[in-house]
Order: sequence, then structure tokens, then C-alpha cells
Amino acid sequence: MVAHSRAATRAHRLRPLNRPKPIQVEAGESGEPRAVVLGRERLAVAAVQDRWRIDDEWWRERPVSRLYFRLLLEDERVVTVYWGLEGRRWQLQTY
Amino acid sequence: MRVACVWLPHFSVAIERRNSPALHRRLVIIGETTDQRGAVLDCSPEAEAQGVRIGMPLRQALGLCPSASFLPPDLPRYGDAFDQILRALETMSPLVDPVALGCAFIGLDGLNGHYRDEMGLGDALAQAVRRVSGLMPSVGLAQGKFTAQVAATVSAPGEVCLVAKGQERQFLAPIDVSLLPCSRDTLRRLELFGLRTMGDLASLPMGAVQAQLGSEGTRIWELARGIDREPLRPLRREESIREHLAFYAPLISREALVTAGRELLTRLLGQPAMRGRAARRMALRALLSDGRSWERVIVFREATADQEQMLSVLRTAIEAAPLTAPIEELTIELSGFAGETGKQEGFFSDDRQRQPQVAEAVRQLKARYGRSPVAQVVEVEPWSRIPERRHALIDYDP
Repeated sequence: MVAHSRAATRAHRLRPLNRPKPIQVEAGESGEPRAVVLGRERLAVAAVQDRWRIDDEWWRERPVSRLYFRLLLEDERVVTVYWGLEGRRWQLQTY
Repeated sequence: MRVACVWLPHFSVAIERRNSPALHRRLVIIGETTDQRGAVLDCSPEAEAQGVRIGMPLRQALGLCPSASFLPPDLPRYGDAFDQILRALETMSPLVDPVALGCAFIGLDGLNGHYRDEMGLGDALAQAVRRVSGLMPSVGLAQGKFTAQVAATVSAPGEVCLVAKGQERQFLAPIDVSLLPCSRDTLRRLELFGLRTMGDLASLPMGAVQAQLGSEGTRIWELARGIDREPLRPLRREESIREHLAFYAPLISREALVTAGRELLTRLLGQPAMRGRAARRMALRALLSDGRSWERVIVFREATADQEQMLSVLRTAIEAAPLTAPIEELTIELSGFAGETGKQEGFFSDDRQRQPQVAEAVRQLKARYGRSPVAQVVEVEPWSRIPERRHALIDYDP
């Protein structure tokens, strides 16, 4: 019989990728973003290129319900943010 | 634009007859005889008189002329012979536009001062062709390519036909419409309309011809009046280097041919023209002991100066060559030169080759930091609508 090596056995650890990050967004009365703060810079939204909604995992205790906006900023960067309808927070979504 | 047309009718037959004088007494038909469905590539005027036409199925030609000599085409030889003619013409004018085997246009503007008159210039062109090929062409001189070609076509070998500026329409008027460059259907319709000569066509109003025959009608109506705006497209010579080996005893073994090819490549790659350069094209030509030739042009995916790579391609070509007789001479020509330093690496390199290198680098990093700092992206739920659920990172531990 071979003695136990006493070495810890571990599965490869999965680390999340593209996790949303909280972001400061100034929204108008209609709820559409007007400006975002990236780093220390406040950037006005030049155009809302697209908007869509995701409702998923409704069978769980905390369902996912997000209102997405793809924004063209004044410095010509394009970012995707969403308003978490369950957490009532703005998040920056990376892909 | 003053243009000369040098015309050698039935050029392929003329070359075959030049090499085998016995063929002068026989009807000659050239076509790919190994293929049952082959077509006539060229035929002697005597065979043409018996109804054989270029493009006709060989079986039909055999039915018309059962006693004719049927020869497989030797395109490399015809091409070489015509190239010699073009080079001779290029010594007289910088504008030489080859149309087909045996027919070329020569731009004459600015050459008049060098010759007695235009007839003298036409004679000089014919003599230049005769000197390098032993064949006597007919020469047409006119304003525009079409009239010059018609003038050459209707002339006998050695004759120079001069069409003075402004006389094109009168010259073309009695000539048959079958010489017009148009479709068979248009020719048939011209015949149905009773238009037999170019003069008949030219005398009609353009609108009527256009209404019946469309844009092709406009074009042939203009040509019939001697109006030809088609520019000369001069031959652009490409730089090339070549080496050849003539064998004392004709070679039978393909392995010996490959060895000869290696020798030729060594000579070629050692030439000053190849210093710091790579070739994109390699042409192999073999002269067989039965007088025929074989040619294969290989285009490399990337310009190369690597002898082993060239030799590998050459070996494959020689092994696949349908050599019907021993080889007397082998020639290799390199062209399409590019700078060797401009070689572009592929954007997506072969990962399998890099795998051991990456594994070794990760092992060293692990030894230094205690764990692998390199991670790999893996798919978790690629179908998920929630972006952060689709992929995850996993420690890369080879």
C-alpha cells in the first residue's frame, strides 16, 4: 500500500472573467444615461447606440434583471453599462 | 495612332514545319491527341481548305482529313519562338503589343525619321521577323489596330500593305464582314440582313445598326468606318534569370534530373541578381530527345530563396511530369523577385510548435513564484445571456 503524500489535492480554481464593475452614471429623468465617470473623468454621453433588457434566472431567489445601454462617449469611446433592476445600481459591463 | 500589324498565319504549324521540313508536303493538324475530346489548336492552310477549322473537335478533323499528320501541341516551343520575334520587334519600337501567337501590333509614332518611308519601315519589320525566325510575315500599316490587322491579314507573306491616313474606310469597304471581331450570332444576323462587306455596314446609319445589334453593333460599325480607339497595350517584360544544362547523353532517370535541377538552382541562387532577393516563380523547361518540350511554371506561396524548398517543389514536378522521351536539356528560370527581408510571418502561428516553449516558461515561473501566474480562458456557459457567466479563468498548469 502506498502512503498518503499529505499533499493537498485541489481542483483547478475557476476565477470569474468580465465581472461587472460598479460605475458612477448620471441619468436623466427618463432613466437614460447622460454622463459616466471613468476613473476621475466625467464624460458626457454623445449617443445611446443601443439598449436592451435581460431577464434571467427568474426561478432563483435573486433573479437577474438588467437594463443595458451601449453608449458612445464624448471622447469616442464606446462602453456598455446596465442598470440592475434588482440591486438598483449602475454597473460597467465588459466582454 | 499609327500602328503596324505583323501577322504570321498558322504560326504553330509554321514552327512545326520549320523543325520538320518533311511536314511541308503533308497536311498538318495540331491538337491534344491524348484527349479524345480534344480540339484543333491550329492547322495548315491545306487542311483549312478541306474544311478543318480551329476549335473543331479532332474527331471531326480526322474525318475531313484522314491522311493529315496529327501533332500534339508543343506550346513551350511556340511560345519561345514567338518571344524571339517579339524581342526582335522590341529593338525597333518600345511599343510591342502581342495579341496571339503569330500576331503583334507595333506602335509607329515617332519612328518615321529612322526609315526612308512607311514602306521601308514595314519592310524592316518583316526582315527583322525573318532574321530571327526564318518565317516571313505579312505586315499591315494603318491608323488603328483593326485596320492594320485587316491589312496584314489580306496580304501575302512578305508583303507590306500600307493604308494611308484618312483612307481607312475606302480600304475596308470591299472586305468581308467575317473579319470583324464580333460574335457568331452577330455575323449570322449581318448575313441575314444581306450585309456582306464592311462597306455595306458602314453605309448604314449608326442608329439603325445599334437598334438591331446593340453595343456590339456600334463597335463594328465604327470599325467598318476605320474608327478604332483601342489603345496599344505594350508588353511589360519582367526581370528573370535562367540557367540551363545540356546533357551529353539524354537523361532517362528522374533522379538524375533532380540532381541536374539541384545544380541549376545552385548556379541560379549564386548569381548576383539573387543577392538579398527571393523569387516568386520558377519555370522548368525540358527539351526531349524527340524534339518536343515540356514546361511547368510553379508559383510559390511566398517569395523564396531557399534552395531546399525550391528543390522539393522541383522534385514533385519532375516526378509528376509526363516525360515521353529522354531529356536532352533542362532549363530553370526564376522570376517575380522580391526583397528577402520583406517576408511576412503569419499572424496566426502554429500553436502546437509553441506549446513546449510556453510549458517550459510556466514551469520556470512556478518555480519562482510558487504558483502559475498564467491563466487560461475557458468556456463555462457560452450560451448564457449574462456576459460574465460565459467564460472564466483557470490556472494554466501544463
